[in-house]
Order: sequence, then structure tokens, then C-alpha cells
Amino acid sequence: MYCRKLLLIIIIIAGCRKPYAPPAISTPAGYLVVEGIINPGPDSTIIKLSRTVNVSSKTTAKTVTGAVLTVESDQNGSYSLTDKGNGYYISTGLNLNTANKYRLRIKTSDGKVYLSDFETVLITPAIDSVGFNITATPKTGIQVYANTHDATNQIHYFRWDYDEAWRFYTKYTSNYISNGFTLIPRTPDQQITFCYTNDVSDNFVLGSSAKLMRDIIYQNPITFIPSTSEKIENRYSILLREYALTSNAYTFYTNLKKNTEQLGSIFDAEPSEIPGNIHCVANPSEPVIGYLGVSTVSSKRVFISNAQLPRWVPDYPYGCNLDTAKVGPGQIYHSLIADPEIFLATDGFPTFSPSLYLYTSRACADCTIRGSKTPPPFWK
Amino acid sequence: MRKIYLLSFCLLFVLQIASAQQSNVKLISGNFQQATIAQFVSELESKSNFHFYYDPIQFDSLRVTLQVNDKPLEAVLDMAFKNSDFHYAITPQQQVFLTKGRQIRTELASGFMQATPGNAPVKQTTTVVDYTDERDKKVPEATTENKLYEIGAKTNAIKSGNATLSGYIRDIKSGEAVTGASIYIANTKSGVATDRFGYFTITLQRGRHILNVRGIGMRDTRRQIILYSDGKLNIEMQEQVNTLKEVKISADKVANVRSVELGVTRLDIKNIKQIPTAFGEADVLKVVLTLPGVTSVGEATTGFNVRGGAADENLILLDGATIYNPAHFFGFFAAFNPDIVKDIELYKSSIPEKFGGRLSSVLDITNREGNKKIFTGSAGIGLLTSRLNIEGPIVKDKTSFIFGGRTTYSDWLLSALPEAYKHSSASFYDFNLDISHQINDKNNLYLSSYLSKDKFRLNSDTTYSYSNKSILLKWKHNFNTKLFSLITAGVDRYQYNISSSANVVNSYNLGFDINQSNFKADFTYYASSKHTINFGLSSLLYKVDPGTFEPNGTKSLILPQVIAPEHALENALYLGDKFDVTDNLTISAGVRLNIYNYLGPQTIDNYALNLPKAAVNVLDSTTYSSGKIIKTYMAPDIRISARYLLSDDLSIKAGYNTLHQYIHLLSNSTSISPTDIYKLSDPNIKPEHGDQISLGLFKNAKSNTIELSVEGYYKRIRDYLDYKSGAVLLLNQHIERDVINTQGKAYGVEFLIKKTAGKLNGWMSYTYSRTFLKQDDPNAGELINGGAYYPANYDKPHAFNFTGNYKFSHRYSVSLDVAYSTGRPITLPIAKYQYAGSERVFYSDRNAYRIPDYFRSDFSLNIEGNHKIHQKTHNSWTIGVYNLTGRQNAYSTFFTEQSGVISGYKLSIFASPIPFVNYNIRF
Repeated sequence: MYCRKLLLIIIIIAGCRKPYAPPAISTPAGYLVVEGIINPGPDSTIIKLSRTVNVSSKTTAKTVTGAVLTVESDQNGSYSLTDKGNGYYISTGLNLNTANKYRLRIKTSDGKVYLSDFETVLITPAIDSVGFNITATPKTGIQVYANTHDATNQIHYFRWDYDEAWRFYTKYTSNYISNGFTLIPRTPDQQITFCYTNDVSDNFVLGSSAKLMRDIIYQNPITFIPSTSEKIENRYSILLREYALTSNAYTFYTNLKKNTEQLGSIFDAEPSEIPGNIHCVANPSEPVIGYLGVSTVSSKRVFISNAQLPRWVPDYPYGCNLDTAKVGPGQIYHSLIADPEIFLATDGFPTFSPSLYLYTSRACADCTIRGSKTPPPFWK
Repeated sequence: MRKIYLLSFCLLFVLQIASAQQSNVKLISGNFQQATIAQFVSELESKSNFHFYYDPIQFDSLRVTLQVNDKPLEAVLDMAFKNSDFHYAITPQQQVFLTKGRQIRTELASGFMQATPGNAPVKQTTTVVDYTDERDKKVPEATTENKLYEIGAKTNAIKSGNATLSGYIRDIKSGEAVTGASIYIANTKSGVATDRFGYFTITLQRGRHILNVRGIGMRDTRRQIILYSDGKLNIEMQEQVNTLKEVKISADKVANVRSVELGVTRLDIKNIKQIPTAFGEADVLKVVLTLPGVTSVGEATTGFNVRGGAADENLILLDGATIYNPAHFFGFFAAFNPDIVKDIELYKSSIPEKFGGRLSSVLDITNREGNKKIFTGSAGIGLLTSRLNIEGPIVKDKTSFIFGGRTTYSDWLLSALPEAYKHSSASFYDFNLDISHQINDKNNLYLSSYLSKDKFRLNSDTTYSYSNKSILLKWKHNFNTKLFSLITAGVDRYQYNISSSANVVNSYNLGFDINQSNFKADFTYYASSKHTINFGLSSLLYKVDPGTFEPNGTKSLILPQVIAPEHALENALYLGDKFDVTDNLTISAGVRLNIYNYLGPQTIDNYALNLPKAAVNVLDSTTYSSGKIIKTYMAPDIRISARYLLSDDLSIKAGYNTLHQYIHLLSNSTSISPTDIYKLSDPNIKPEHGDQISLGLFKNAKSNTIELSVEGYYKRIRDYLDYKSGAVLLLNQHIERDVINTQGKAYGVEFLIKKTAGKLNGWMSYTYSRTFLKQDDPNAGELINGGAYYPANYDKPHAFNFTGNYKFSHRYSVSLDVAYSTGRPITLPIAKYQYAGSERVFYSDRNAYRIPDYFRSDFSLNIEGNHKIHQKTHNSWTIGVYNLTGRQNAYSTFFTEQSGVISGYKLSIFASPIPFVNYNIRF
């Protein structure tokens, strides 16, 4: 055991961290979870509704369908959202008057009404740049950061999320393909060596310029990519979205982040729930999770090429071996021809007698099991 | 000189003739020019029949220049000694006694030869001067048990009534005061204990007494006295060298039953050193945690919780200096050098009137005085720390110093860490320098100083450091045998600093400090054998800098932010009386009047009444000039306790006390950390206050070697400051908007059995206690748990402790320490949900669940070097294992999202058996 081996040394800093299964806890009906923002601009407003589930539950979330959602202004304006199913409620560009305040009314299928507090419209400043630093400590890799500023000196709190996409390579190139009877060389269309894949951010990235003299966010860390990651083995792209926050929303997200993302250490704060700005009208003490802000969104896409980085060796996610198969009746030959779900030939000497083929497991030669051969539309 | 007097008196006695003779009047003429005493006397002897007796040394400065014609001897001597300090006395036998400074009476006191009829008090003539006055008489050093010491002005018949005996008890070897030694007079069943300066005073019936004297680590002794009148007696005690068979835990074997206080524990450093600790170095705070009624949120945390009080509700005093952060290295080490500390005293219930300003307890740590006779020292080497102490006389028997220093060399360990921790560093040191000086028998001066500093960086570019500093001057003055005073003045400072230089634009320096100047005057007046009165005043001037946030480097864009310093004055006046109503009943009652002024310069926001303190509810703000009193809080503390002796070894005690606290620790982590801030009470933040009622039954068995006690208490805590969810405590200009007044209640019962003598000694305790808090202020905005009671972080209903030491021989002993307690409450996730691309958790009500129970056992073996007294150095080894069973006690549990999956983890500190070794050397 790690902590036993290092004895004195580790306990000084970290003690010993072990998995812990809490006593079975069950809560009654799940609490409503509201995610999204009211976008006052020309972009769509997307709200996602779900309910909490028990910690021990196998499912991760229960979506809420059949609710009626309406954006209301303090000037009695009203704009409906459409139930798109799967918990999503969408309205195309609302183009609201930015002088007014807005809130969301939710009426669930069981008749309960939830209201968010009226919020003023925030205009999110543009993202100045997205860049990266090569780091050596504590881990080797790149730290992607964002710079932004608000010339009007009004927005002091920011949240970011992002979509990532990258091109990656298999460990070995499969040069032969089975036509069901024999192995033939692959055409360029049939190549499965490199693919594109993507991911979305799974944590909050928050930043504040409240303590600075000028409203500048300088190199706010967005995400860290280890040197061994496949994300940067060839070319990587990130689409960063920026949201302006009020100080209350910032506090809410900070607390949520603290409660759910940060590791336990000696100085860590105790978790405590902080209510958002959404309330059940009939039962104000019923917890409702989420903070509904009203703001525009700024976004920026950048590419990072492997040529800009030091020579790092990526970790391939599977263990790979090459082996030799002789053509002739036998299981391996059968697999190469009839069952390419298991093995793929990488190289071959069909003129040999008997013919020889090098082969490896499919995971090591077929990128399509983890990505798509079609580049995303923004790839250039 | 004394011999001459004695001789003179003897002569007088022998030559006394019943009827007075008419003296021969022979007239003398002469001319003396600068005559020495010898010339003068021989001239007079030759010219008369008188014979002179004198001490030539006393008269060596005398020169007589005189011309006389036919004068009687008396006139000649009158002229010769005119305006000088010389005296003469002439007996009927024509003897002349010349003295300096005082005159000899040539007749016996009336009634000396015959008993006064009817026991009437001896009537002394006014002309008799009592030269046994203590001013001039050296206080006898009573070193012998079998000698009878005469105290006060000797009278032929012992007068009736009481007289007061006072003096110091000191170690014969080092001259150090013996604190807490007890003097017990068996036939009157009365007793006293020495104070921290070794001073005692006791009022007794005049006459013959046997004083039984017992002290910590000292050989029991006794002194025989005849008490004639008020007087002094200094007692020197011998250290209990090699009598390892019997190590005492309590100085006063009968104190358990006889003292009037409840919930007071005194521990000597020898006991503290027996308790195994994680790194082998004796730890005065660890031992406090083994006492009933004391809990902590976990291992390696700074601070402790006494009877349901928060960590900042303990007043920790090091020789009178307030220590704000009593730990090093995240709480792994106490900030007190075990080689300097003499003893500790923890007050959980009956807090003397002289202490105040904290709600739960007082931990009074006393340092040793330096050796007044010879230079000595000691050194200790451990795995992570080393320490050195040197002490010795500056002026022998009068002035001594003691110096102690400790430091760590843990950086080598950190650099051996795996990559993830390699870039961490941690260091600390502390120094003590104390000087004590005896001006004379009535005046003593003590200077003590303390400095500690911690600095660490945990694998980031953020560096944390904190430091305690204090310097204190004490003057102890004895007005007479009944009244003495202790005047104290000093300054204490606590500061921390956080700095970061990772990002040039965001590089910062953050500083926080508390400066406290204090003045105290404590008086003790032994009014009579039944009344001991304590009174005095204390004054504390606070200056708190709640935060300075400054750019670090020229490229930093950090907006300098300085939270305006806070000033306050905390004054207190107190008066208390310990009244022995009867032999069996003693009552101690006192009152402490606290007057707290929040001072300018300051700008205070005024909030609308009955609305939450939030930005939207600010009416206006008022700016006050420097020194202006902004707000005054005045409240009396009541301290009452009583003891009734049911029998010689069984007593019942009860107590009630109230306390106020004006400085609050705001922490949103589970223990004291160097990012917490202290806040003074101001118009928007009320002082904390609380009261406690306690009842106890105390019993001694097996000739006072086993002490048993049961104590129960109920305590209320009012306006304890807690923070709101998501509160920002650092650099908050309006902290009152982020804190919330909390009400608390705590109750419990503590069982303690203590064996103080024999090969096996130690203690065992069981405590059942509960602590609940609630936030029911309707103006607080959101409430934790909707305003219902919830268990405090340190609520541990069941706690069991065993601490024992067994001596195999004079050289070998083993110690075992066992601790069990209910796991502390935690807030658990009760639901999960999907949000922003991740699975997240929703937490239960605060502290609705508990971590697994806590159990730990530690073992150590102490090996003393040989016991030859005359060798250059004495060495000893301590070898042991901390957490013998290797139980992975949960320090805390937490839930964290990694790659979109929520997993629960428990964090354990000292999760495996930890061997340690420590080498100590004394020279």
C-alpha cells in the first residue's frame, strides 16, 4: 500500500486517501435541477431540467419532461420555450430588451410552480485570446488559459465552459482489409489510422477580476492537458465559451465547485449547500438546484498543433502487440478474414508461401472505435 | 554579631542581681582627637571602673573628637555618639555594651522569670524593640526535618490567636521555585499550595506545628515550627532522584478532594513526557486531549475543544502571554518546547476571576525558571526536530536565565517525496528566553520572551507563514506576609502571511496580524485563616490588521486592498474571596467586571433594524476618529464554586460561572489554519457569552493514591460566530454580512480515575458529552438546517481514554496510551445529479452523519542511561510506536468528481503504525 510504504513521508502531507462507501442514504423524491442561462441575444436559450437521484443509484439523473417553461420580464413580457424532450427546453433567439430584468417560470407536470429571481441582463465581453503555457511542474503538459477584459469595467465575474476536439492516431496502421475471403490492401478511403473525437468540459471554470485595479483577466487557467495525452499528439482545438456572472451567481458556482470538485485536504472547508436563485412557489424550503442567469455568450476557437510543443510521447490507452500469422487454415487467419472485430492485419507479405501477415488487436489499429473519420465542420 | 548579642544576653542572665545597685558615679575628664574606638575605650576604662564590650568591626569607622571635663560616663558617651547610630548600655555591674544600630536592654522583660498568673497576655513595655523584625532577620532556610524552627518574635509564653506564616518553597539543587507544592497541617486539617512562584502563605494558630510538604517530583518532607508571630520560612526540598517507583501525577494528593475548584487538571512535564506522540517529542497539547471533556476534530489539527466550546474559546497562556496559534506544522507539533515547560493547568469549569476573555477554558502553561546555582542544559534529537536548552545563573542564587530553541529539518523528507509533493517545503522554529531575578526577599522580576515561526509551501507557488511573538515583564512584590502583588506588562503578536508569485499579473502578498498590549495587576490578600481575597485589574489593548492585500512584483495588477485596522480596549476588574465557612465547607465566589470598548478610527455601517445584515440593508455609515469609543459592552462575569467535605476523602463540589469573549476566530475549515481571521466585537458583532453549571463528586482511596471523580455540566453558549454558506472571510470589508450568530448548548458527564503512585500509574477516563449549535436569528438571511439544532463538528458523545506508565526498574519504563471516541459528525451527500457536464452531489443537513469511530493506541519504551549522579551527561532514549494497531482512522470524508464519476474517499492521517525514536541528553 502506497501510504504504508512511504510511512512518515506521506502522512506529513496527505496521510492516506482511501475509497469510502458512506452508509446507505436514501432521499425521497429527487430535487429539481435547472441548468442553463437565459440568452437575451440572438442565440438560442437552452434549459435542461432533471431531478436528483440517490447517491447509490445506478442511474445518474432523471430527466424532467412535460414541464412548461416561460421566460418572463419585469415589464410583463412572456416568451415560451419548447419541450424538445429528454429534459431540454429550447427557444431560438429571444432578442430581449437589455434594459429589463428577466426570470424563468417552470411548471412541472405535477403542477408545481418554480420561479427564478429577476436578474439583470449581462453583456459578456469578448474573449481576447486563448493561449497555453508549457509547464513542467507539478505535471508536464500544457495549461490552456484565457485572457479577457471588460472595457466598461462592469463585469467582474466570469464562468467558462468549452468543447474540445482533436485528431488522434492508432498505435499501428492497418494496411490490409478483409473482403470476406482474403486480405486486400486498403484504399486511402479505407484508412482507419487517424480519427477525430471530441469532449465537453465537465467542471466549472471561474474567474474574477474584482480584486484587481482594472477589469482584466490574465491567463485564467481553463484546462490542463498532460504531455502524455492523445489530445495533443497531433492537433487539438478548443471552443471556449464565456459567461458573465453576477456576484451572487459567482458565489453559487464557487460553492458548488468547492462542494463537488475539490479534493479533501487538511484545510478544506466543510461542505454546505448554498441555495440558488430558483424557488418552489408553494414550498420555499424545498431545495432547487441551479442558478439561472441572464447573459450573452462570447466564444472563441483556437487550434494547438503538436509542432508547437516539445517532443512528448503519448500514452496509448491499450496495450498493443504485433504478431505474425501464416495464411492457411487456422483460427488466427480466420479472425483476420472473417472477424475483424478482434484482429487487424497491419502489414503483409502475400507473395510469400505461405503468405505472412502481421496483425494486432483491433483497438490498436482501428481509430473508428473511439472516433470519427470525418473531420468536424470547423476543422481546417 | 549575633553571637555577641547572644553572649551578652547570657552574661546578663548569669550576672543578674535581684536588686539594682546604685551605680558608682565617677566623673571623667579627657581630650580625644580623632580617637579610634580602642583608644577611646581604653582611655575610659582607665579613668573609670567600667568595662566595655563591643565589636571592633562595627566601630572601625568611628573617630571621637571630644573634650570633656568632669562628666559622668553617660554624658561622655552621649556626646561621643551624638548624631550617630551608635548606642550604649550600662549595667549595674559596671559593664558597658556598645552597639551599632540598636540598643541593648539590660533588664529582662518583665515577667520573664515568673509565669504570668491567669494566662493573661504578657504585657510588653513599649521600650522593648522587637529586633526579630523580619526586615532585618534573614529568613531561615529550613532544610532539616528534625530541627524546630522558631517563627516570629519569640515570646516567653505563646500568645493565643493566629499568626501568618509565609515563604517560598524551592528546589535545593537548582533554587527553582516549586509550584503547586502543598503544605498540609495534619492536626488542623488545613493546607495551602504554593503559587507559580513557589510562594505560600498560611494562617495558623500560634504554637507548635508540623508542616507536611509535598511537591511535584519532590521528596515528601516535613518541617517543625513554633509559630510565635507572623513570620517567614523558606523551605528547600530535594528532588526525588531515582525514586522512580513513585511518580506523582498530582502535586497535591489531597487536592482532588479538598480543593474548591471543579474541572481543573494540573499536569507536570514528567507526566507529559510519558505519553507517546507521533514523532516521539513530548507534546503538551496532545496530553490535554487525553483529559476528560477535551476533544478535537481530528489528529493533526490545531486547537482543541473543551466541554463543547470552539477552538478559539480557549485562552492559551504561556507564562502569561496569549498564544493565538499553539501549533507547528499543521498541528503535528505543539508550539511549546517540552524542555522549557514546567507544568500545565487546564481550567474547564472553575475559572479563576483573574482569567477572562474566553468562553470555554484556560490552558495555563508555565515555563521553568533557570537553574540559579549551576549551568545545565539538555538536547534532544528526533526524526524531524531537534531541540536544545541551556540554563544557569547570571548572578548565583539571584538571577538566572533559561533558553530553549527548537527547529525542524523536515525539508529532507519532503524532497524525498514522489513528484507530486516534491516541491513542497515546510519549516518551523521556536525560541524561549526567560530571565528571573530576585531583587530581594520581597521583590522578584521575571522577563519572558517567546518567538515561533512556521513557513510552508504545499506543492504550489503559494507560501504560507505564521508567527507568534511575545515579551512579558512580571514584577512580584510582597507587601507583607499577607498581601502580595503581581504586576505584568507585555506585548503579544500573532501574524500570518500568504504570498504567491505564480502568475505575474495576479502575484500577491496577503498579511494579517493581531497586536495585543497587556497590563495586569493581580493581588492576593490572605485576610485571615478563613478568607483569601484575590483582586486586581487587567487591561488589553488590541490592534488587529484584518488583512492587507498587496501586489507582489512590479508586473502585478493586484489592487492593493487594506482592511482598516481595528482597535479595542478590553478592561476588567475582579474581586474574589475564598471563604472557609467551616472545616467542611469552602466557598469561592468572585466577580469579574468586563468593560470592552471598540475604538476608532473606524467606519461602521449602520444596518436597518430587524433586517438581515446585507448590502441592501445598509442605511448609512459613520466614521469615527482615532481613539473615539464607538461601542462599549460591559458585563459582569460570575464565578462561584463550593466544596463540602462529606468525609476526609470524599467531597461534593458545585460551580457556576459566566464568561464573555470579545475576539472571535472565523474559520470555515474544520480546524485552526493560517487563513483564519480574528474579528473583534464591534457594533454589528456582539460579544460571545456563555455560562456553565457543574456538579462533581470527588473521592480519594488507598491513602490518596487513587483519585476518583465524577463531574457533570450543562453549558450555554450565546452568540458564537459561525459563517454563512459560501462566506468570504479573508479581505472582507463587511464581515458582519457573512457571519451569523449561533447559539449552543453542551452537556456531559465525565468519569476519571487516576492512580498517582506505585509502579503503575496513569489515568483512565470516560466522557459522555453532547454539543449542539443552532442558528435561529430571524435576521440572518438563510439559516443552516432551517434554524434547528445540529451537532457541532467536535460533538463526540462517547470518549474513552487510558494513559498509563509502568516502571519495570529505575531505568526502564513503558507507556501505553489508548483513545476511543465516537466519530465526529460530517455532512454527507444525499443525492446526486448531472450538472455542467458532470455528476455532482447534494449534501445533507449540516453534520447529519458521522465518520467511523476513532480508535488509536500508542506505545513507548523509555530507557534511562545509568543513574550515576556524577557524570558529564545523562542520556535517555524513547522508542515507540504511534498508532500501534495501524487503524486507518478517518480524519475526514469527502466526495469528489473525477472524470464525471462521483467517488467517496476517506482521508486518514497516521494511517499505519509509526515508529519513532528520540534521543535526549542532559548536561
